[in-house]
Amino acid sequence: MIEVNKNLCIYCGACVGVCPVLANRLRETWIDHDPQKCIDCGICPKACPVAAITLHKGKKSL
Amino acid sequence: MDKYDVIIAGCGPCGAMAARAAAKAGAKVLALDRRKELGAPVRCGEGIGLHWMDELGLKMNPKAVSAEINGSVLVSPDWKRRVVIRNKETKGFVVDRKVFDKDLAIEAGRCGADISVHSEVYDVIKEGGKIAGVKAIVDGKKHEFHAPVVIAADGGESTIARLAGLNTTATLYDTDFGVEYEMVNVDCVDLIEVYFSNADAPRGYVWIFPKGKDVANVGVGIGGLHAPNAKYYLDKWIKAHPERLGKAKTVAIKGGIIPVGAPMTDEAVGEGIIAAGTAAHQVDPIHGGGICLAMEAGKIAGEVAAKNALAKTCDRAHLLEYAEIYKKVREPKLLKRLKLRKVLEKLSDDDFNAIFHHLDDKDIDNLLKSNFAAVVGKMTSLLITKPGLIKTMSGLL
Ligand SMILES: Cc1cc2nc3c(=O)[nH]c(=O)nc-3n(C[C@H](O)[C@H](O)[C@H](O)COP(=O)(O)OP(=O)(O)OC[C@H]3O[C@@H](n4cnc5c(N)ncnc54)[C@H](O)[C@@H]3O)c2cc1C
Ligand code: SF4
Ligand code: SF4
Repeated sequence: MIEVNKNLCIYCGACVGVCPVLANRLRETWIDHDPQKCIDCGICPKACPVAAITLHKGKKSL
Repeated sequence: MDKYDVIIAGCGPCGAMAARAAAKAGAKVLALDRRKELGAPVRCGEGIGLHWMDELGLKMNPKAVSAEINGSVLVSPDWKRRVVIRNKETKGFVVDRKVFDKDLAIEAGRCGADISVHSEVYDVIKEGGKIAGVKAIVDGKKHEFHAPVVIAADGGESTIARLAGLNTTATLYDTDFGVEYEMVNVDCVDLIEVYFSNADAPRGYVWIFPKGKDVANVGVGIGGLHAPNAKYYLDKWIKAHPERLGKAKTVAIKGGIIPVGAPMTDEAVGEGIIAAGTAAHQVDPIHGGGICLAMEAGKIAGEVAAKNALAKTCDRAHLLEYAEIYKKVREPKLLKRLKLRKVLEKLSDDDFNAIFHHLDDKDIDNLLKSNFAAVVGKMTSLLITKPGLIKTMSGLL
């Protein structure tokens, strides 16, 4: 699963567009992440333009 | 249960144009957008070419214009060459998307389309293997809206098309990621500035787009395979150029996703579904501009959707007319520019400098307009002195 630092996120939607399994959804000003769908591919942390995303490999909850 | 002829998910430039076109064609139209305030928050450099207004048959609302632009300045990586291009193609506007986008929705409303803001589409309705509508949260309540055709115009996130079974996922290689600060105390004239450098902005560029007086959008886009991230490159660039931005103060932060690969055509169409605009990667592969391309695609999608909804022929075979029109009016130009992007992204800053210093202003303009035939002679004489470039440039000439 991933963790989004809400204080860094500028709700740009990049992590939504690149996720191959639609595990991220941009609500108004925050990202809803679905750990059950996430396959830990590591793509969205690379896409995030402000480094707001941390990947927690193998975890399904924080 | 609400029934429509055409439902549009996302009411940005693409969705609003689709709504307007479909309503004008006589369809009962609903455009839904997650935002409470259309256009806000801005995720864009807000630059628009004047020629687009004619092409789209529109007049620019003066209230949406932040600054009028009379040309562009292209700066070489060593900052020693500043190519100023003033012509029909480089004239334009830097707009205020908060006004511009809402204005397009207002026009769509005037044409009879229903607009539903604060309405997040979270799923599509499927009936018998066809898309038959959308599920949305409107003002906090779940609703279902039915229509024989849905246009996915939700921008770079492109969730709706994927929920409908189309593959619009953005890949890191074919996508740029951008961050931009709106800044005050920036010396601006009536030109947009573009700084090329694969060191300062790998696979992208740094831009300064004037927004009136001493205010400008200062941004950077980088290719998705380049670490660490766009903000890192922007902060570094601003710090490295105190002579340009030493007094500048940030009054807004914007950012987003820019698909710069091939525009989708046939793959953007399914049973009862059309993806259009940035949701279908219809963006200029070199400069990443997508506002007017989205409007153009939206208009085509709206017209085709309305026609087929009224004729009750919203199967994929009929909706493919949208892709056929797009292939005629826009795809070839974008594919030519994609070819150029794939060459530019391989150039080192030394190569860039050599090209900038070897070509005159007119040549550079031609090169960036993908007018390759016009620069073959000059490029050949450069390649003789720089044989290392031959392999890279062979993709073009
Ligand atoms: C940093 C940056 C700088 C850029 N600079 C320029 C530039 O200078 N010039 C230019 O031409 N282009 C520029 N672009 C590209 C341009 O912003 C886009 O191409 C353009 O906005 C695409 O229009 P669209 O209507 O397809 O999508 P969008 O403008 O993204 O609109 C999509 C709409 O859908 C809504 N939406 C999304 N998901 C849902 C959902 N699930 N339910 C309901 N509504 C939804 C959104 O709220 C939004 O209103 C830039 C992009 C970025 C990221
Ligand atoms: S890590 Fe991969 S699967 Fe998980 S949310 Fe990010 S992009 Fe999606
Ligand atoms: S990519 Fe980063 S900044 Fe953009 S919405 Fe996702 S977490 Fe937020």
